[in-house]
Amino acid sequence: MHPAERQTDYRWPLLWAGALVALVGAILLGVAISESEAWAEVAGALGLSFVGWGGLVQSFDAGALALGAQTASAVAGPKALIGGTLVWLAGWGLIAAGIRRAPASGEGPSPAAGAPLYPRLARYRDFYWSTLGAYGGGILLAELALLLLQTVLSSGVPSDLGGAARESSGGLSLPPTIAFAIAFIISMGVAFASGFVGASRAQRLSFPEATIGVFYLGLPVPILLSLMERVPSLQLALGYRLREVTYVAGLIGRPELAYWLVFAALVLALVLGINTGFIAAGSGRVDLRLGFELFVARRHVAVFRPSLLLGALAVLMFGIIPPLIVYFIIRGAEAAVERTRVKSLGLADPLAAASAQHRMKLHEQSPTMMMTALSVGGVGVGVMALIIVLSVMSGFEADLQQKILGTNAHAVVSRYAGDLPDYDKVMTQVKRVPGVVGQTPFIINQVMIASEGNVDGVIIKGIDPKTVGSVTDLPQNILPGGDLGHLEQPAKILPSSAVEDGDKKDAEEEDPIIGKPSKPAKPTVLPGIIIGRELAASLRVVVGDRVNVVSPLGTELGPSGPIPKSRAFRVAGVFYSGMYEYDSKFVYILLKEAQDFFAVKGATGIELKVADIDDARRIANQVVRVLGGYPYRARDWGEMNKNLFSALRLEKLVMGIILSIIIIVAAGLIVATVIMLVLEKRKEISVLKALGVPDGGIVKIFLAEGLQIGVAGGVLGLFSGLAWCLFIEKVGIKLDPEVYYIPALPVRIEPVQTALAVVIAVLVTYLASIYPALKASSVEPVEGLKAE
Amino acid sequence: MALLSIRNVFKSYFLHGKRIDVLRDVSLDINAGELVSLIGASGAGKSTFLHVLGTLDAPAAGEVLFDGRSVFSMNDAEIAEFRNRTIGFVFQSHYLLPEFTALENVAMPALIQRRDRAPSYAYARELLERVGLGSRVDHRPGELSGGEAQRVALARALVLKPAVLLADEPTGNLDPTTGEGIHQLLRDVNRDLGITAVVVTHNETLARSMPRRLRLAGGQVSEA
Repeated sequence: MHPAERQTDYRWPLLWAGALVALVGAILLGVAISESEAWAEVAGALGLSFVGWGGLVQSFDAGALALGAQTASAVAGPKALIGGTLVWLAGWGLIAAGIRRAPASGEGPSPAAGAPLYPRLARYRDFYWSTLGAYGGGILLAELALLLLQTVLSSGVPSDLGGAARESSGGLSLPPTIAFAIAFIISMGVAFASGFVGASRAQRLSFPEATIGVFYLGLPVPILLSLMERVPSLQLALGYRLREVTYVAGLIGRPELAYWLVFAALVLALVLGINTGFIAAGSGRVDLRLGFELFVARRHVAVFRPSLLLGALAVLMFGIIPPLIVYFIIRGAEAAVERTRVKSLGLADPLAAASAQHRMKLHEQSPTMMMTALSVGGVGVGVMALIIVLSVMSGFEADLQQKILGTNAHAVVSRYAGDLPDYDKVMTQVKRVPGVVGQTPFIINQVMIASEGNVDGVIIKGIDPKTVGSVTDLPQNILPGGDLGHLEQPAKILPSSAVEDGDKKDAEEEDPIIGKPSKPAKPTVLPGIIIGRELAASLRVVVGDRVNVVSPLGTELGPSGPIPKSRAFRVAGVFYSGMYEYDSKFVYILLKEAQDFFAVKGATGIELKVADIDDARRIANQVVRVLGGYPYRARDWGEMNKNLFSALRLEKLVMGIILSIIIIVAAGLIVATVIMLVLEKRKEISVLKALGVPDGGIVKIFLAEGLQIGVAGGVLGLFSGLAWCLFIEKVGIKLDPEVYYIPALPVRIEPVQTALAVVIAVLVTYLASIYPALKASSVEPVEGLKAE
Repeated sequence: MALLSIRNVFKSYFLHGKRIDVLRDVSLDINAGELVSLIGASGAGKSTFLHVLGTLDAPAAGEVLFDGRSVFSMNDAEIAEFRNRTIGFVFQSHYLLPEFTALENVAMPALIQRRDRAPSYAYARELLERVGLGSRVDHRPGELSGGEAQRVALARALVLKPAVLLADEPTGNLDPTTGEGIHQLLRDVNRDLGITAVVVTHNETLARSMPRRLRLAGGQVSEA
């Protein structure tokens, strides 16, 4: 920061040439070592060679290949190997040559040469290996801590070899998301702490150390993890041990995205730690007190004024134009009143009038004030948009989840092959697993369903009406007129024709061919079936109508060869789940009927309901363990509907990232604003330094100014976002139910997500004000004190 | 032992790409309680000398000793604290902070030291009354005249009872009558509070009224 400290000389041509040579070397190495095409595909995409990791990654591959087949090393030509290594090293040598101390001045010794050197200069060093260790080691430690904690917390101590899962012995078994939250917070803390320690010991920001540390020690882990997804050998080597990690990462859709997001968060924590450490101790000692700095910063940017806050809130809530019009009307009226007052005062007391006019002028806004207001508004818009969009998307997700889980079980127990003939026994065993609150056996199959007018392919489910309600919402979803209980008492289903048969005369007259009254219909008792609303509409049937169910699988031998098995059912009820897919594709019959129809002994599987749906995966695993593992298996709802939910989450994440760009733009505004403030306050900075404020204090003052803008914007965005969400929820924005299957835009305000939006905004503004704040602290006191 | 000693100090600055050596091997002692004037031509480096003395600017080589301790061997925070506690500055311009009232400006060095607000304000008010501005404590610098602002600046320099007062042409921007008032205040401060003071000035009459006179010319400081 002091001009005297710029001693390192970067010779860019050498650096670039070195990078190029190293790249060539890395490619040579890669070609030499690996015949696998995965690297060629992946390394380029990740740009690994640019950071010099290409070679190492490729040697990993070589190792993996060597483990798999010893021929790999024989394939690689040793000459190419050595050549590649040499070229690679030569490239790094060139880079190293490009970074070196500035040569000593060519001039002869000045008369000052004999005098004692300015001691701080003498003490200065360019590069601290210990700081590099702290930063790089810190980020690596944070990553490893995250991986280990995640694995241990959610599944116990990982067993050494990929044998049978013996996690039951010891170790915590937290739900994966909670385990992740704990591991993430701890590793963020580790990254922050190492940044803090490194920076406060070095007493400077040391960007070269931080960059090298992050690149060379931090990057390999996310690179390896993302490679794991694409390279089978790595997946075999690492995948088993890291499956808890991959599971959590997969929750948001693309695991790679998750790895890199977490990595970015860790780097952010490190940077925050470095910055905080520098501010706290950069000028010689740890000082975290803020009272004085806030006192000054509050005067510099008076953000927390009711007029500014209310104005910005009004703009966020009602758009720019209406508040602006109101503002101009109010200002115009005020000015008119003031002018009349000044005029009348001027007749009596010209001096007082002049000072009143002076005050009026003072009232006008300075450009910096305008910039401040704009930045507050910018951050506010970003946070507001983030909160609204994420809440609406959460609303959609919650709605979908509720509908899916209303119809589907939280988990399904079945066998890898075949049915569950002894489902009673299994159910009594499953009952003992804590967390299971309901279970019901089922049989599932695909059939054709035909009414008089139409035919449709559907999924048929044999259910147990007594227990099905403990797992799904089917009993509640039955529309009035039908009854789930009638499945078991088919005689109670009134045939729809019976309603017409109510007056028997019609029926009697109706048979013109035979000419005598048809049988005074006591219709045959048919087994009941429950169908969805959409299916009922497309089949044009109502409760009591007869439908035929045809199974192409179970064939019966007819006169002309095998014919599909067919059976008649009577509609006992119609259900409406709210999901078009289900309402048009699912039908339910009695378990016993299904057993007969499909010749199944027992059931296909057992559906479970668990107390905490986020814990479904763990409970499902536990159920399998209780049942003794293979051949039983259990799948949870997340696994069964993985496509849908991971698509939704990915969409939400991407939306979040895109909307964060608004906040980043706002951060640009903050940088501009704080730089303007710094330029405007150069003289004041010099004076403050002359009065004894250390560099760290100046940094704190300007950071506090940026933070004030961020906090004000974040809070305004929070309020306006929540207000908009409430508006959408209470007043509602209509959707076409035919398209969206939902009458109004759903909103679900998730506290964590909302808080995260504000926290991210504040963090970004904090980061944005680091640079201007450092600029401010580097103002030399004598610079601003030169007499004008 | 001298309160302030300067040992073999070198300092140069660059003007239009040319190096100007303003201090060449300057050594000097200033004893506690002295009132010293420093005169010299424009551009001779009087301000630079004062800045080096006040730790605002580091010398290229050489040492500044306060009470026998080398100030530039301290780290940034220690130097800042040294400046805060030991040295009071008065500049040619008042350099008051425009967002703060006269009272807050005067109390600022105490606030930087994180002293309690109430006693700091009380003492600042007392000082303002002493320089004759008891009625203007709540005015912002923009609402004060040049002489008033300079008196506020003097009060600010004295609020922590520093050992050394460094004044860089404190009356350069003022009319002679107002300037004389400031000079009187400086002499009073030196006499009553025993504060060592170094005053850079163009004003020969003022310089002659000081017990010790220094002249800076050609990179060398000599007794005049």
